[in-house]
Amino acid sequence: MTNPVTKLRDTAAHYKTLDGKDRKRFWSDGILNNALYILMAAFIIYTAIANDKFLTPNSLTNIVTQVAQYLPIALGIGGCIVLTGTDLSAGRVVGLSAAVSAVLLQKLDYSRRLLSAFPDMPIALNIILAILAAMAVGAAIGLVNGFFVAKFKLHPFIVTLATQLITYTLILLLFMSNGNNGQPLSGLREEYVGFVNGKMLDFGNGAALPWVVLYAIILVAVMWFIWNKTTFGKNMFAVGSNPEAASVSGVNVFKTTVMVHTLAGMMYGLNGFFEGARLGSIAQNTGLNYECDAIAACVIGGVSFVGGTGKISGIVLGVFILRIIFVALTMLGIDQNMQYLIKGAIILIACSLDMRKYLAKK
Amino acid sequence: MKKRNLSILLAGAMLAGMLAGCGGGGTAESQAPTESKGADPAPSGTELNVGVFYYNYGDTYIASVRTALDAALDAKGIAYTDYDGNNTQGTQNDQVKTALSNGANLLIVNLVTSGAPDAAKAIIELAGDVPVIFFNRAVDTEDAPDVTLKDNASICFIGTDAPEAGHLQGKMVGDYLLEHYDEVDLNGDGTIQYAMFKGDEANVEAIYRTQYGQEDADAVLTAAGKPAMAYFDPSNASKYQVDQSGSWSTQAAVDYMNTNLSQFNEGNGNMIEVVICNNDGMAEGVVSALNAAGYNDGKGKTIPVFGVDATDSAKELIKAGKMTGTVKQDAEGMAAAIAEAAASIGSGSSTADAISAAAGTNADMYTIAEGVANKLYVAYAPYMGE
Repeated sequence: MTNPVTKLRDTAAHYKTLDGKDRKRFWSDGILNNALYILMAAFIIYTAIANDKFLTPNSLTNIVTQVAQYLPIALGIGGCIVLTGTDLSAGRVVGLSAAVSAVLLQKLDYSRRLLSAFPDMPIALNIILAILAAMAVGAAIGLVNGFFVAKFKLHPFIVTLATQLITYTLILLLFMSNGNNGQPLSGLREEYVGFVNGKMLDFGNGAALPWVVLYAIILVAVMWFIWNKTTFGKNMFAVGSNPEAASVSGVNVFKTTVMVHTLAGMMYGLNGFFEGARLGSIAQNTGLNYECDAIAACVIGGVSFVGGTGKISGIVLGVFILRIIFVALTMLGIDQNMQYLIKGAIILIACSLDMRKYLAKK
Repeated sequence: MKKRNLSILLAGAMLAGMLAGCGGGGTAESQAPTESKGADPAPSGTELNVGVFYYNYGDTYIASVRTALDAALDAKGIAYTDYDGNNTQGTQNDQVKTALSNGANLLIVNLVTSGAPDAAKAIIELAGDVPVIFFNRAVDTEDAPDVTLKDNASICFIGTDAPEAGHLQGKMVGDYLLEHYDEVDLNGDGTIQYAMFKGDEANVEAIYRTQYGQEDADAVLTAAGKPAMAYFDPSNASKYQVDQSGSWSTQAAVDYMNTNLSQFNEGNGNMIEVVICNNDGMAEGVVSALNAAGYNDGKGKTIPVFGVDATDSAKELIKAGKMTGTVKQDAEGMAAAIAEAAASIGSGSSTADAISAAAGTNADMYTIAEGVANKLYVAYAPYMGE
């Protein structure tokens, strides 16, 4: 990373060499390239003035918690977008893995347990088992996605549309099995809920950060490492920007594609595990359309559908922006009808600005 | 060689698909008139071939109706096929067409777009003279009640009186508040601050429940000389928060409730004191959010939370003292009435006779709507634990 101070000094030096017309251009470009951040800053300031509770510890911890809950799926889907693809199955995979986690972690004495026979094991083992199961479910579906994308050169849109539907069948069958009769899965072990939702840092007065924030930070760190410091990560970007070139220079495109989707699936699995504890009650429609928010967060954060570009920090920022919008609009009491418009407009602006940068580079 | 085989196979499959598609369309057109020749809508002596169209397999309540109805139809020896409309009216219409072309002579339809006479009419037109039993989701609007039902002798409706759940819930909330007024009024300002969670902006049931859940509770309170409830967030003019995806989801309720609790809590002296939800899924989400904030663990401080549906998991929460009440919509009662009516139509009765046959099986649970012989109500019941 370049030192921001030197960078700023360089920019200033460069600015001095410009003439009047170019200087004007420098400012208009600067404003346009950062328009999203300027708008967000204005929006936050406005909300804070209109509602003095927006920037209280209570509200800030709420935003951070929500970001943590919505992060893993976005981190996973980001990789698929870097490959110029997408993943429509993500939401359903979150739903299925949430259901699997819940099934494994229902209280033993709960009268409506779906798994009627389940060995009594220490809670730590039980939780680890559920995490592994959730990740395995996600990885399996991710593997199928990756295989069909890489092997048959199908567009991920098609493949994941198919697996989205297939996953829904699995969810429906799971919910109808063993006399559960489509009822929501609840009666979760308290240790499980505490493991995810329990207070990690308590600031008093109701403001607290749950453990899931820590897990999200760990996942961000792991994903940052994978994207930036491993051969696999570099291969991913190479395949994303130009698969032919990558292939010629010795990158195994098939393996990379399969791995990106499998890794994404694992992230959805983890998200499902967290979601189970957060909701406390999993229904068949849990996870429905989660991928929309995740994809939106990625593109707002500059992971481009053009392929080969994107940063983990951008994804985190994108999720933050979406959650801030949700919380702020709720707190401002904005008419529900208008909220879709605002969200849509932000996605449109963000992507247009992103493409503008890309086109300028070209 | 391998490749060629594959392409032949594919071409064959496509051809077969096309033929099947054409064939299906053909029979649909030719079959409907043949069936309408009989004087009876579904002539007795013909085996019943029933198509059951659910609006969404993913809906908890509908899933329990489906299990109960499958069992009830099996018990009566009626052949049926289930369809999932997947929350899309267009899909459902296509399924109806397909079922008719496949020889269905009785349709049992859980309309996707509830309270839309035009959607119902489209299906009635498709059905021709094949009788249709609509259930659960309303056919007519409140402005023009029962017009479609009165106009079409070949259809009937078995469901609940949409506003009734809201009325029952509102009364339950009001009664509970009166009984526990000072205990619920956490900040002691003499007014109860309530929150309302709506399942879907466009669904009539959701609209009624949102309206009457609050109005009837207020009516009980004001009749006893207490002030009406106040919505917890003065800046929200609509006085409810709605699942923007329209799916009555637990997740939407959790997100809203967390956000609400971050600015409305006991520390600020403006805690939400009662929560009214359109369904149990949302109520469970509210309970989860309250749990995370240290409430409703069954031991300490409990914010009363009310839902509708009486799902098994909500009943468990009520049993554990984490939730306060819900309104029971009887899935098995609904299924039994539908199966009874289907059997009756199968033996040659008109839809109105089928409705009275079903009503006769349990007078406590079923009532025929006043002045509409082909409309049957299945009663709701308040549920606050056994």
